Amino acid sequence: MTLEEAKGYVLRRAREMGLEAELLFVENRELSIRAQGGRLEELKEARQGGVGLRVVAGGRVGYAYTEELSQEALDWALEEARENALLSAKEGRIPPGRPLGSHDLLGEGLSAPLEAKRQAALSLEKALREDPRVRAVLMGGYMEREVRLALESTQGAQGAYRTGLAGLMGSFVMGEGESLKQAWDAQFGKEFHALDPGRTALELREKTARLLGARPLKTGRYRAYLEPKAMASLLMILAQAFSGKMAMEGKSRLLGRLGERIASELVTLIDDPTLEKGLLSRPFDAEGTPARPTVVVEKGVFKTFLHNSETARALGQENTGHARRGYGGPLGVGPSNLYLAPGGDLKLTDGVVITEFMGLHAGANPVSLDFSLQALGLWVEEGEVRHAVENFAVAGNLLELLQAVEGVGSDLDWVLMDAAYGSPTVAVAELSFAGA
Amino acid sequence: MLQAELLEAVLKRALAGGADFAEVYAERSRKRQMVVRSGRLEDALSGLDYGAGIRLFFGTEVVYAYTNDLTKEGLLEALETLLKAKGTLGKVDERGMGGLDFRKRAPKGLHAPKVPYGEKDKRYRLERLLEAESGARIAPEIRQVEASLLEWEQEVLIANTEGVLAEERRVRTRLFVLAVAQDGAEVQTGYAGPGKSVGLELFDLYPPKAVGEKAARQALTNLRAKPAPAGTFPVVVGPGFGGVLFHEAVGHLLETTSVAKKASVLSDKLGERIAGPAVTYIDDGTLPHAWGSTEVDDEGRPTERTVLIEGGVLKAYMVDRLGHLQTGYPMTGSGRRQDYTFAPTSRMRNTFIAPGDKKPEELFEGIEFGLYAKEMGGGQVKPGSGEYNFAVQEGYIIRKGRIEEPVRGAMLVGKGPETLMRVVAVADDWENAPGMCGSLSGAVPVEVGQPHVLVSEIVVGGRA
Repeated sequence: MTLEEAKGYVLRRAREMGLEAELLFVENRELSIRAQGGRLEELKEARQGGVGLRVVAGGRVGYAYTEELSQEALDWALEEARENALLSAKEGRIPPGRPLGSHDLLGEGLSAPLEAKRQAALSLEKALREDPRVRAVLMGGYMEREVRLALESTQGAQGAYRTGLAGLMGSFVMGEGESLKQAWDAQFGKEFHALDPGRTALELREKTARLLGARPLKTGRYRAYLEPKAMASLLMILAQAFSGKMAMEGKSRLLGRLGERIASELVTLIDDPTLEKGLLSRPFDAEGTPARPTVVVEKGVFKTFLHNSETARALGQENTGHARRGYGGPLGVGPSNLYLAPGGDLKLTDGVVITEFMGLHAGANPVSLDFSLQALGLWVEEGEVRHAVENFAVAGNLLELLQAVEGVGSDLDWVLMDAAYGSPTVAVAELSFAGA
Repeated sequence: MLQAELLEAVLKRALAGGADFAEVYAERSRKRQMVVRSGRLEDALSGLDYGAGIRLFFGTEVVYAYTNDLTKEGLLEALETLLKAKGTLGKVDERGMGGLDFRKRAPKGLHAPKVPYGEKDKRYRLERLLEAESGARIAPEIRQVEASLLEWEQEVLIANTEGVLAEERRVRTRLFVLAVAQDGAEVQTGYAGPGKSVGLELFDLYPPKAVGEKAARQALTNLRAKPAPAGTFPVVVGPGFGGVLFHEAVGHLLETTSVAKKASVLSDKLGERIAGPAVTYIDDGTLPHAWGSTEVDDEGRPTERTVLIEGGVLKAYMVDRLGHLQTGYPMTGSGRRQDYTFAPTSRMRNTFIAPGDKKPEELFEGIEFGLYAKEMGGGQVKPGSGEYNFAVQEGYIIRKGRIEEPVRGAMLVGKGPETLMRVVAVADDWENAPGMCGSLSGAVPVEVGQPHVLVSEIVVGGRA
């Protein structure tokens, strides 16, 4: 069956089976081109799609999905979802929905001949090699993703949108004498034509070159300047503490702290799914709740968790429209474009500039918010960067870090992970560094 | 899943289009996940993944397409897209004219489940999860327990223009318990997550109650632990998941994915001493029922036991087809991928440091002050610089040769080749543990392992 036929079939069968059902149809198109050594190394062109079911039977919630759209597979998914619901203790309902319209958030953003995209990857890879210190280029690459999503439920929700993004990725090894550094970085945008391989290569090389000749860092407590991408990557961990689902499951340290000051008053955190150039903007969430900006932390005060209909009901709070679900997973909560609001001028005095954190999935605990992370950085003295530092780890707790923020710059930049996270450079009064 | 006739049509069309080599990888995977929280089944999810990937080689250039449409039309359409992208559409190469002679490889069932999923109903599984949860309720400080079961039944078919036609049904089961302990504002976690290439006999191999208790004990230990000290110390790394250190610090550096591009600090070092003489490091894809074992790799080649380092000397790399073409090293059955949405690359399977001749307690003797990293979390490495980091999930201070108070939040950081040379002793108590390893071709199940290992110094990231 086509996705359209499958949609009709599953909704009809769900009604016949007496189920409340919500169907999420997703179609992804992916193109990635990797160049290496001046030649095309790998080109990947792909389509993938499936239907995810959330059903309510006997007042309980169950899930199933299938990528195979045969009648047999769809029947299997419906029966599994029903069986899962009947066994489950999770009470729930499919929220009442309404027509949400059909939206195009991508437009002609990815419209360009394949050849132009191939050239983008090749010229990025070539430009990365234009520095004698670059010892090896693992790849220069281009990728784009187009997503079509449709939501439909037996309770009246009906909406669809199309979105996507494009990006350049580079990975290379740079060296000077014995000192080696590997870079793995990417820049994303909503439009192919806005990408600039030459400029991206220059930026990636410069960012890595300044880390060469790194010296060990003496163990101690220093002021830290977290560069935008480093701070943004910490927001990914922090976002879990803001998740209404984590709170509902007793896994957020912020439970019971609404209205309290949890951060320096320089810290304002906003999730905005309506951001015009937002990499992951969306017109509605995975349950069909229309999107709107949410201020999570305002001048240091914790304003709200991010909620879907289920977590909002469980905690007796307002649904912020942050339901997240792929067709292959259960209902969750997640930000779209979460960022730390830019401040003003930030001058370096002394301490360590942290350019990158590594090993976030292992070194930061999303429940306790304790972290101990390998990092790369630069030593700053008397307002000037003196040399790079390496082989050290930074430790602390993310809530303590937020409280110790003493400066917020204006150079907002984004990283794309499970959501888009943005931050300007942030100065933190003191962090614990372990090194030589 | 797919008929030989259809495979032949697709592969021959690829050759006719000018490809030097073509491969079809088809997959149908059924997955089930059940999550119990607070004595209740909260998330129950079933799923069916279904798709195929087509990979073509033009010399060492690779083009790859995947689709959920496994009809002849669907596969040919995906193929034509690739040929068009490559600019060879419409060309006809006479190599496509001959017949393909498939050598069909029947699975031997080396890792086949003893208790298949169909033998028990979902209620049986729920009861086991409830046992795991109750096993974790050993103290009032245990505030939250999450017990989950993952069932993963993957049918794969791999056919290529060299006549390979391999099928395998891979069944993997994992039980995972997360315990959250709280005392005032202090919150700490503990995990346990045994998994094997088995069916529901996993519950016999790892009684759920004991798994729950293990997670809870770790959470309680971390709750009373002080922040880890910061600095450079001798470290004894515990057995089992402790092997993740060398997985990150060494294993990834021996994959042709980075070796072929000279982007690994261990490129071009065959025959050289790269580790202390106590180190023998093996990647074995054939261990019966191990989490990372398969009969054939995702390129249809029988998996092997590959000795990577013997007595400190580098003996072999992990080599997939593309890596073989690029380097000339023989293939080691190491081509792996998460699923049909990824082209395979060289990956680890079950990688471990072989047991040595010391008793574990001998490793602690003579350490004035150091860290015992008993259980590990995950980690990460940059092969080009060798820089790695990994988290200690359960750690203790070693003082005058004795294991003393627990510490938490320790992160080990360093450079792989340096750490390897600093391995000074290996004990005789080897075990492996399962994990998911993420890299270019997605997340694949692997085991990591080792006996107790003493490293003379590692930077420990704790609180200064």
